This record gives sequence, C-alpha cells and structure tokens, in this order.
Amino acid sequence: MPNQLAPAEVWFPILTQVVFAVVMAVALVGVGLALGKRVKNKVKDSPYECGITPVGSARNRFSVKFYLVAMLFILFDIEAIFLYPWAVVYRELKLFAFFEMLLFMALVLVGFFYIWKKGVLDWAVDETSDEKIQ
Amino acid sequence: MPGNYMPSAAELFRFSPELLLTAAGTLLMIFEAITSPKQKRSLPVFAFLSLLAALALAVAASSDPGPAFNRMLQVDGFATFFRVLVMAIGAVTILISTNYLKQAEHEGGEFYSLVLFSVVGQCLMATANELIMIFIGIEVSSIATYVLAGYLRDDKRNNEAALKYFLLGSFATAFLLYGVAWIYGTTGTTNLSGVRGVLLDPQNAPNAILISVALGLVLVGLLFKVSAVPFQSWAPDVYQGAPAPVTAFMATGPKAAAFAAFLRITMWAFEPVKNHWIPVLWFTAIATMIVGNFAALRQSNVKRLLAYSSIAHAGYVLVALTAASKTGTEAAMFYMVSYAAMNLGAFAVIAHVARKGERRVEIDDFAGLGNRQPLTAAIFTVFLLSLIGVPLTGGFFAKFYVFKAALDSQLIALTIVGLLNSAVAAFYYLRLIVIMYMQPAPEGVDTLPEPSLGIRTALVACSLATVVLGVFPSLVLDIAGRGASFIR
Amino acid sequence: MQSHILSIVLFTPLAGLLVLLLIPGQNKFLIRLWANIAAALGFLVSVPMLLSFDRAKDGYQFVERADWIPSLGVQYLIGVDGISLLMVMLTTVMGFLAIFSSWTSIKDREKEYYAMFLLQQVGMVGVFISLDFLLFYTFWELVLVPMYFIIGIWGGPRKLYAAIKFFLYTLAGGVLMLLGILTLYFQYAQQFGRYTFEIAELMKLNMPLGLQQWVFWAFFLGFAIKVPMFPFHTWLPDAHTEAPTAGSVILAAVLLKMGTYGFIRFSLPLLPNASSDRTIVTILATLSLIGILYGAFVSLVQKDWKKLVAYSSVSHLGFCTLGIFALNQNGIAGSIIQQINHGISTGMLFLIVGVIYERRHTREIKEFGGLAHVMPNYAIVFAIAMLSSAGLPLLNGFVGEFTILQGAFEANKIWAAFAVLGIIFGAAYLLWLYQRTMLGEITNEKNRGLKDLNWREWAVFVPLIIWAVTIGVYPKPYFDILEKPVAQIVHRVHQSANMPLAAATVVPPIAAEARVR
Repeated sequence: MPNQLAPAEVWFPILTQVVFAVVMAVALVGVGLALGKRVKNKVKDSPYECGITPVGSARNRFSVKFYLVAMLFILFDIEAIFLYPWAVVYRELKLFAFFEMLLFMALVLVGFFYIWKKGVLDWAVDETSDEKIQ
Repeated sequence: MPGNYMPSAAELFRFSPELLLTAAGTLLMIFEAITSPKQKRSLPVFAFLSLLAALALAVAASSDPGPAFNRMLQVDGFATFFRVLVMAIGAVTILISTNYLKQAEHEGGEFYSLVLFSVVGQCLMATANELIMIFIGIEVSSIATYVLAGYLRDDKRNNEAALKYFLLGSFATAFLLYGVAWIYGTTGTTNLSGVRGVLLDPQNAPNAILISVALGLVLVGLLFKVSAVPFQSWAPDVYQGAPAPVTAFMATGPKAAAFAAFLRITMWAFEPVKNHWIPVLWFTAIATMIVGNFAALRQSNVKRLLAYSSIAHAGYVLVALTAASKTGTEAAMFYMVSYAAMNLGAFAVIAHVARKGERRVEIDDFAGLGNRQPLTAAIFTVFLLSLIGVPLTGGFFAKFYVFKAALDSQLIALTIVGLLNSAVAAFYYLRLIVIMYMQPAPEGVDTLPEPSLGIRTALVACSLATVVLGVFPSLVLDIAGRGASFIR
Repeated sequence: MQSHILSIVLFTPLAGLLVLLLIPGQNKFLIRLWANIAAALGFLVSVPMLLSFDRAKDGYQFVERADWIPSLGVQYLIGVDGISLLMVMLTTVMGFLAIFSSWTSIKDREKEYYAMFLLQQVGMVGVFISLDFLLFYTFWELVLVPMYFIIGIWGGPRKLYAAIKFFLYTLAGGVLMLLGILTLYFQYAQQFGRYTFEIAELMKLNMPLGLQQWVFWAFFLGFAIKVPMFPFHTWLPDAHTEAPTAGSVILAAVLLKMGTYGFIRFSLPLLPNASSDRTIVTILATLSLIGILYGAFVSLVQKDWKKLVAYSSVSHLGFCTLGIFALNQNGIAGSIIQQINHGISTGMLFLIVGVIYERRHTREIKEFGGLAHVMPNYAIVFAIAMLSSAGLPLLNGFVGEFTILQGAFEANKIWAAFAVLGIIFGAAYLLWLYQRTMLGEITNEKNRGLKDLNWREWAVFVPLIIWAVTIGVYPKPYFDILEKPVAQIVHRVHQSANMPLAAATVVPPIAAEARVR
C-alpha cells in the first residue's frame, strides 16, 4: 500500500456500490409496481413461468436438446472465463498473449462451427428424426 | 514468467509434432462437418498421414534436443523415443479402426481427431519436464480416450466402459494433482529438474515424510494409469467394454506415455530419494504380475484375457522400474516397444474376428481359425508366442532385459517370481493357440471375411516389428540406451 | 579364415522351410516331395562336415563368430567338437527319416506339418552347435514350439493335454535354466568386468561352491525335465503316446538328447565343483537308477505298445545320465554313444509301432499276436530293433550299455549292480512284448490280411539297421571322436575337484582358435 488511507476512505467505494445496488433494486421493483398492468391467471402466478411445473413428479422427460444446450452453454461459458485472467495479465505478456488468445478464440470458433454444421443449433428439426445430430 | 516472453523458433520446432497433430485434429473436425459422406472416406487417410508427418518431425526435432517453453518441456532422446512410439501406436490404431467403424456404421472424422488429440496428450507426457505439464498431458490424453471408449453411443458396453474409465480415471488424476500440490508445498517447485535439485541439496533437504506422502500420491495416480495392482480393477471392465481398436489403443498408447512420465518422475526427479519408492514398486510389481497372470487363467473372453495379461505385463515393466538403474530404464523402454507391437497386433486380430457388434470375442470363437484363415492364425500365434516370451520374438528380449536389469540390481526374489510368472502366463496364451489350431470350427459357423487392407497392413507391421525385435534387438535397444542416458 | 559349413548345416532346413511356404497348399505332392528334398539336403550338407572333421585336433572346429547383440555381449558363435558332431549327425539323419516316414501317414495340413519339422530341425541343430549360452537358449526354446504343434495338431485323442503338458513342463524348466545362465553372466561381469555369454569364457569363472550348487540345480531343472529324469518324466509318456509317429521318433531320438547334452556340455564343465560334489552326484545317480528301474517296471505292465516304448525311454535315458555322473571317461563316452543308440533303436521301435498303427489304427498289445506269420519282414526288423534296444552284443545297444556299466563300476560298484538289474528287466519287457505281438498263432482275425513292409518303409529301416550294426561291430571311430572332448571334460571336473576353487583355468581351446583366426 503506497500511503496510509483512513478506513473511511478505503470503504467509501464499496459503500457507494451497496447504496447504488439497493436504490436500483428498490426503484425497479417500485416503478414496476407503480406503472405495470396487472394480469392475474394461473400461469402468471406460477413461480416459473417458463414451463416447468414446480409441483408434481420430477421425473418428466425432457427433450435431449435441453441438455445439449446446457452443455454447450457450460463449454462456451468456461471458455469465456479464460478471457478474464488473460485480460488481467495482458499488459505484462504483451504481443505473445495476444496471439495466444487469438489462437484460443480461433479454436473456440472451430468448435462453434462444428456444432453449427452438425445441426446442434437447428431447433426446428423434426423431433422424431435424429438424423442431423450425428 | 518473464514479461516479454516469446517462444524461439528452436522451441517451436521442438514442439512442432504436437502443433502439427493439434492442427490436423482440428482440421479433421472441420472436414467432418463440411464433407459429404463419400469424401469422409479420406479422413482416416489424412489422420494417418499427419501422424506419419508428425513422426518424421519428431525424429527431425531430435537432432536439436533441448528444453522448450521455459523448461516446461524437455525434448531429448528419451522424449523422442516415446513420442515416436505413441505416434506409431496411433497410426496403427487408425489402420485397425477404419474397417471396424465401417462395420459398426459409425464412421466419422471425430474418431480420428480424438485419436490425434490423445496422441498429442501422450506426446506431452513424454516430453514434459514439469509436473503440471504431465498433468495436462494426462488429461488431454485421457479425456480423448474416455470419449473413444464410449464411441459407439448405442452400445451399452461402450457406455459402461466409458463411464467407468472416466470416473476412476478422474479420481486417479485427482490424486496425482493432490500429490503435485504437496510436492510444490514441500519443494517450492513443480519443475522436475527443480525438484531433483532441491532433493539433492543437502543444505535444505525437505522433510522426508512430506516428500514420501507427496510421492505416494503421485504414484497412486501413475499406478492407476498403468493399471498396476491395487489400482488395476478398472482395466478388465474397460478393455472388455470398449470397441476393440480403442482397447488396442488404450492398452498401449496411454500406458506407454504413463510409463514415460513414470520414468521421468521416479528416475529423474525423485531419483535422489529412490529408497523411498523402491520398496513400494517392489511390492506392486510382484502383486501386479501375480494378480494379472492368475486372473487371466480363468477368463473366457479374449478381450478380458488380454486385459489381465496387459496388467501382468505392466508388472514386468514395474520390475524394470524397481531395478532403478539405467539398465532398468532401458529395459522398460524396450519392453514398451515390443509390448506395443504384440498387443496392437493381438487386438487387431480380435477386432477382425469380433466383427460387427463384437459378438465373437469368446475364446471358443477362435476355434478352427488355423483352418479358416491360416495366415491370420499364424500371425496371431506369433503375437501370442511373443506374449509368452519365446525366443526370437520381441517378447523374449523384453522380458530378458527386464530380468537382467533386476538381477543387476540384486533383485533376486523379484526375478524368480517374474520368471515363474512368465511360465504361468504361457498357459493361458497356449489355450488360445490350442483353440485356434487343435479344435475344429463349430458346425454352421459363418464365414469370416478376409481382413481389410488396414488390418492386413497393421498385422504385417506388428508381426514384422515383433520378429525384428526378437532377432535384432540391438536396433531398438541401442536407441533406448541413448534415450535412457538422458534421464539416468 | 572362417568356414561357413556349420551355418549351412544350420540354415539349410530354414531355407527349405521358406521355399516350402511358397508352394501352394493344394499341391500336396509337391509339398511332400520338397519337404523330403529339403530334409535330404539337410543331411547331405552335414556329410562334408563329418568328413572334414579332424578328430586329432583339440577343441571346437568350424567355429564361426559374429556379434549378435553387442550391447549384451551376445554372439552368434557356433562350433562343434566330437560330442556335438555326433549329435548333429544324429539330428540330420533322424530328421530326414522322420520326414520321409510321414509320406503316407500324414494326410492333413501337410504344409504346416512339414514346415514344423523343418523349423524343428533348425532348432535342434542349433542347440547342438551353439557355443554362446544365449544362442543356445534361443534354439532350446525354439525347438519347443514346433513340437508343441506337432503333438497338438497331428496327435492322438488326448493331444491337447499332452501338448500343453509338454510345453509347460519344458518351458518351466527352461525359464529356471535361464536364471542359472543369467547368474553365470553376472558373475562373469563381476569378475572380469565385461559381459559375455560365451561358454569358453564362462568356464574361466571361479565361483564358490554354494553358488555353483544353486546354478547347478537351476540347470538341473531345465535339463532333467528335458531328459527326462525321474521324477520329472511324467510329460514324456503322454507326449510320446499322443504324438504322430514321426514326432515320437524325433522326440525320442533327438529332443531328449538335448537334456543329456546339456549336462555334458554345460553342467559339468561350467560347474565342475558342484558337478563333482558328493551329495549332488549321489542324488543324480540315485535318480538315474530309479529312472532305469522304474522305467523298466512300468514298461512291463503297459497295455499300450507305444506307451511301453515311451517308458522304455525313461529307463534308457537313466543309463545315459548315470554314465554322465559316473564322471569318468568310460561313463561319459558310453553315455554319448548310448544316446546315439537310443536314437537309433527307440526311433526304430516308434517307427515299428507307427507301421502297425497305420494298418490297424490301434496300439493295444492284446489286439496283436502272431504277426510274424503275416508280416515276416516286419518281424525281422522288429527283432533287430528290439535286440538292439535290449543290448545284445554285436548290436549298438550293447556297446553303449557296456561302456556305461564299466564307467559306473569304476565310480561305484553298487550303481553298476542296480544298473545291471535294469538291463535284465529291459530285456524282459522287450522280449515279452515281442512274444505277445509277433509270435504264436494269429489270435485276432483282423490281423490276417495285413500287408508286410512296403519299399518306403524298408527305405526308412535299412539305414537305421545298418547304422545299428556298424556301431555294434566296430564302435572304435565313435570312441575316437569322443576321446578328446570327453577327456577334457573329465579332466576339468576332476582337476577342479582336487584343487577346489583355485584359479584353475585351462586355456579354453576356443579362445586359442579365435586368436589363430
């Protein structure tokens, strides 16, 4: 630490952020309450409107596509995570790191291209024919 | 790491085989996605050729040995030896696979690209001079192999094998990683040469107990990878369940690479404390030979039988490691070459006989093969005799060097147990020969098609290698000797 | 100058084998013809070796030396002395006759059959001419494989059991022998600072008695199983009974001799102190005597003709090992001559069983009787073979057994007494066998129409009979050939025994030879 700062000075940015967060949350919900139109029906009242029933047997069959998407999400998400440490040390590593990351992104792109061509992203394919996803 | 790091051309050249293989594997994925089914026929050819090219590059790179990437990798004679070996294994695997995949109606570029990626991982294990790199190599190689083991998605046995392999494999790598962390904690480095330096330094020698625990954890991971007792139980199930060409690959490639890493860790980094690990390996070697051979005696499934036999063979290699000498390292290296040749060959025959759906993998399915396909049977016999260790085959000299190394290090009991074991082993290999030649094929057996071009090439290559190793062992032994001098 | 005559003898069958593999499998006549030609060539190329062998010279002749695996000190080193010369001749003659006798009896997978015999020939010759221990071991194990297939594919009803038993027994023995070889190898490296498997070099070793004894027992297991000595003989009757005729012939005539040859060539000269150790000699002689008597008794009660001959081998080989461990000139020379004799007479006996088996497809002794009436020539041949095996004077068996008895008598009178008993029983079971099968009235109607020997069978038997008679009448050349090498072995054993563990190193003749070259 270069020079001594008073505790208040150190914590001030954090405090600002907390305040902003609280204000933001309250404001958004409040504005919604104030301006929003109310519709009340069974679907709207369910906790997850996206289609999964919260009560009842959990052993439903899902389309395999859900899993595929989930997996693809995890894969690409993790790949994106590598960008953060890279960004942190980018200044020290200079050009080498730049090319390395370029290479990495290219590989990710190849993966993307592969799943695309393999038809994983084709949602409209007939459920019964598994042809395209090989 | 220095801020302005940039790999030199020499370093890139040393690493070029891996770069080439990675590029080829990636290209294969793209080709797979964009080509028509008819064009896909050329994908295995592409994979095969790129392996050969990488092999040539590896040989060329050995002309300029040295470290690469901040001493993470060490491209020396030892690394080249194993790099060439695993690439050759990969190439033969491709030869065996094409027809098998066609029969299974599962042809695809992914298979070959996974083989290439796995080979990259194995090359990394062979060249790594750094525990983290070894870990990454193991992971790259293993993850590709997990997928290969379950490649035929619709086959339940494939699925089971893949899952078992995956779960137990990750468990073992976790141990290894934990061990690496301990090593870093006690020595302050993960570089193998660095570890060696710390252990050699009498001024600040690390705590012996800590080092033992660390080494123990690493050994667990490695012993699992080479399927040594008591971490062998996955091997029979996985080898039996996976597609035969993949089994051939798993039994040879990752094992050879694991032994390469094993040798570098024990004979280079932890050589100064060899009194800590020699007793462990001594017991493991004896147990592995005995368990492998005696369990193999009772098998009726050929793949399972060879799985147990490969456990036993790992035991022989461990005998060489227990010798903890340059001769021992040489012996282990020679053993891996001849083991790879004879095992790949044997599994190629199995893949050929098993055919679609692998319904013909019982010993009895080989009945009358001597009459039905004399040449295939004769070549299979060469492999089996080599596995027994009959002179004039590679298997004989492999065992011979191992026991010579063991006797050199005064491991008399170990040698006697090993020799007796190899006599026991003869029994179950002979059973296969007996069935092939001395029992007629059952009535109404369907005709066995002629082996495909790929299988034929693989069989000729492997049997030639087996015999040449048996008649002129110096050819390989001298190279192994030069390679071994790099680590000890 | 190096003469390559031995390499030619060694590799002629291999060349024959390679050509054989090129002949298409359907052309059975050509396969048979070529196999016979190759085997005959194998014999013919060994004749010049016999003729140019100089029996006045010490040590090995026709030595060839080349590096095989330099890093291990393994050499391709071959040569013959009187002992191995006789063994090689036995091999080439019996190898040819075995192949020749198979002309009609083998009708199934002939190409593989003859290939196996030719391969076996390479291995057997190699065993007898190797002067490098690892080379020797290579050939030793190489012999195992073809014989395993010969028994296992073309054998009788219990062939699988017999083949596996044969293979495992001999392999186990071989593996322990390898351990012994490696011990010598390391001892040599310790004492002389370099690695070699050369036998003449290993003889310079100066090892303590205890270690010599260990190595001796390791060798013993390898050789005794092969001979086979009691109690390791149990594989032999099975293997013999199940093997096809030619296989039995080779097994009895040559393969078993590899064990006794091993004792003479390796155990005695390499481990002189252990070999002359009182305990070891007593044990070995006792086992030999048990073998002689046990083999004879068991032969007496056999119902199967071939099994009887097989057990008689145990008895005869007992004589050979007894002669070796008499450790004197007569004993060892007699033993070697007896090995040749056993090859001739037992080979003939097996061929005789084969002849009748081919006609009747049974070997039960009680099925036969009075065969002399329908097959007079056959009966005469059988009589000669039987008398030669029983040791009738003027036939070969007598010379060997008598010399061994002489040697045994010089060593220990009690041994000789028991061995004589063995000869008496030997005569008993053979004569009784002859009586039951050949003499008397024809008891079984099926035997009435049997044909006598045909020309091909005559052609197999005649050379063997001539050989048997020449040895019986004029054995001197054999003793002459054997005199020097045997004297050398005896000298070495006794010299070391008298001055235990002194640096007693006779300059090995092979080293002298090498220097001249």
